[in-house]
Amino acid sequence: MAYLDINNVVKRYEEHTALDGVSMQVEQGVIYGLLGPNGAGKSTLIRIINRILAADKGTVTLNGKQMTDDDIAHIGYLPEERGLYKKMKVGDHIVYLGRLKGMTKADAVASMHWWLDRFDLKKWENKKVENLSKGMQQKVQFIGTVIHRPPLLIFDEPFSGFDPVNAEQLKVEILALRDQGSTILFSTHNMASVEEVCQQITLLNHAKVVLTGSVDEVKQQHKKNIIAVQTPDKIEANDALFTILPPDPVKKQDTRIKLAQGVNVRDAINWLNEHYRLTGFTEVLPSMNEIFIETVKSKNIENNE
Amino acid sequence: MNKLRLIIAREYMSIVGRKSFIFMTLGMPLLFILIMAVPIGLAYLNDKGSDTQQIAVIDETGRYASALHSDDMYSFVAIKGDTVTNAREFYDKSNGSLDAIIIIPRNVDSTGVVNIFSEGTITPALVSSVRNVLADTIESAHLAAMGIPNLQEMVDKAHVDVDVRSIKWSEEGGEQESSTDAAMGLGLMLSLFTYMFVLMYGAMIMNSVIEEKTNRIVEVVVSSCRPFQLMLGKIIGVGLVGLTQMAIWIVLLAIVGTVAGGAFGIGNVSPDAVSPEALASAKDMGAIESIVRQTLSINYTPIIVSFILYFIGGYLLYSSLFAGLGSAVDQPSDSSQFMTPVMLIMIIALYAGIFCMENPSGPTAVWCSIIPFTSPVVMMVRLPFGVPTWQLILSIVLLFGTALAITWIAARIYRRGILHYGKKASFADLFKWIK
Repeated sequence: MAYLDINNVVKRYEEHTALDGVSMQVEQGVIYGLLGPNGAGKSTLIRIINRILAADKGTVTLNGKQMTDDDIAHIGYLPEERGLYKKMKVGDHIVYLGRLKGMTKADAVASMHWWLDRFDLKKWENKKVENLSKGMQQKVQFIGTVIHRPPLLIFDEPFSGFDPVNAEQLKVEILALRDQGSTILFSTHNMASVEEVCQQITLLNHAKVVLTGSVDEVKQQHKKNIIAVQTPDKIEANDALFTILPPDPVKKQDTRIKLAQGVNVRDAINWLNEHYRLTGFTEVLPSMNEIFIETVKSKNIENNE
Repeated sequence: MNKLRLIIAREYMSIVGRKSFIFMTLGMPLLFILIMAVPIGLAYLNDKGSDTQQIAVIDETGRYASALHSDDMYSFVAIKGDTVTNAREFYDKSNGSLDAIIIIPRNVDSTGVVNIFSEGTITPALVSSVRNVLADTIESAHLAAMGIPNLQEMVDKAHVDVDVRSIKWSEEGGEQESSTDAAMGLGLMLSLFTYMFVLMYGAMIMNSVIEEKTNRIVEVVVSSCRPFQLMLGKIIGVGLVGLTQMAIWIVLLAIVGTVAGGAFGIGNVSPDAVSPEALASAKDMGAIESIVRQTLSINYTPIIVSFILYFIGGYLLYSSLFAGLGSAVDQPSDSSQFMTPVMLIMIIALYAGIFCMENPSGPTAVWCSIIPFTSPVVMMVRLPFGVPTWQLILSIVLLFGTALAITWIAARIYRRGILHYGKKASFADLFKWIK
């Protein structure tokens, strides 16, 4: 059984259905991406896992047990809408968030010092939050999320609002937490970050799961049998084997060919190798961004019909 | 429980630690003193600053002008009636040195009418002083004219001030002098206190809820505790702030009272000051003594117990209402649409309370002291007069039942409201959230 198991969750509001029978399995120790366009239901699902909202139907189990209010002590949650008490001192604020998660005062203070040190914020401990720069506040926010060393971390759009330097540091920290055994679930629009850090994804659209699996699997499923060929020659189309695509706007020197139905890569490359001077070739896998857009668009067309 | 305590402590410290709280706590008594002192000071300056008014008295009877004595404010000059044929001419001729002319007509004994003429304003103070002096004088003259010896003394002897003492029979058969003035004062004080406390700290809770929402901290917090805990923690935290503030004010008041008592008390009475004023004030002292006696005679234990119950119930009722409504808006400026109806109810309660002082057992008073939204204020007015036990119990049960129901409803609104951003919520939305 998966570490975090979401089974057939339904959440309805007065005017619309936010989640319509969503199931998702997150294995322990992975970084799991929850993707989807705005309004797909990501935040609602995350709030249900955090027990901020209650599901109308379905179950959420953690470590094989139905989740209860006590489990939120094991979760670190960085919401999309986030902020801090502006008038509180940085140190007090972090300790407060840690103690709300059930830490003792001594533990929270020790942990707070460790993290402030790590983020180079030590001299700000007794300053009010409002005196910090935006970037520093975001670091404090992050520390407040992880101070109790939760085994499950949930980030809703973690990179939104972070400048590139802080986003990079955040990424490094997320990977480090994963390496220490934390399971990380995050929702995002930022497909580049998905490819860099996620092993598994689920794509939500209109309250339903439309795609799920490991990043590699998903890419294989969505590949278009396109090969980028490097050659000094000009390749002519061979309708039996492949057609020539317009060149990629970024890698103009490559010739992109699309294999005909039922042709495998090896046959095509063998043929090309006999007729042209090949210097290299790569199979073109779609980016997560392309898969995202393609899937969402095709589903929307289905829904409209 | 532990989380609730943390939330309460944070809420409390976040307000008490603010500079504005310290200013407010120390500034309010000063403001109060100013509010009371300024009108007195202004009136004093007004009297002091104005010149003595020159007033000519034309006494056609020739008997009463001497009764008007000049003082700092008015200088009365009697003019022989037959030397002046036209008062207007006389006034104009004075070229502004005269402020008014009083004409006591020949037939004043039968009509009792006296005229004051002026181009300027005739102050109510002048009118009343002239009226009082002349009424007494003319009355004495009439008595004397009857030619009965010692009539004045006989009339004085016959004069009676009726002192109505109200005595309340207790159910056990005892008698107790009840205390209308003291009861009214105490009732009004308690009800104003409840009203002010609920309003001030209710608004504070609302702001605190809205602040957490605009700060976007609220979702971080409710991922660690239940929204209900957060709301309750705020209500209790702010309530404790209120009690702290009240305690500080009471201590300040006690200090000021002691100091002022020491400064203006017994030390200032000089033994030779046996003037009519001193006698009058001695009479007042009797009245004060009676009020003090009445005040002491009020049975405080049930009043204090009920006051605490009503105070808690009323605070819980209104503060959860404020918290729930506050959660539905994004910024303080949007809160007025929800504030207005609540304020309206509170103001109705206050007016009902003041109105009920006239007849604390009338139907309006009884109903308003049982309806939960007005009872915390109105019952305070009724309490010192004594309230039938069944009404008290019914009212308290209703108040707490409603307070708990409102807290429950507010918690449901709060739960949804704190995560609601963007489109302004309407009352219809709130009803949907409650379901």
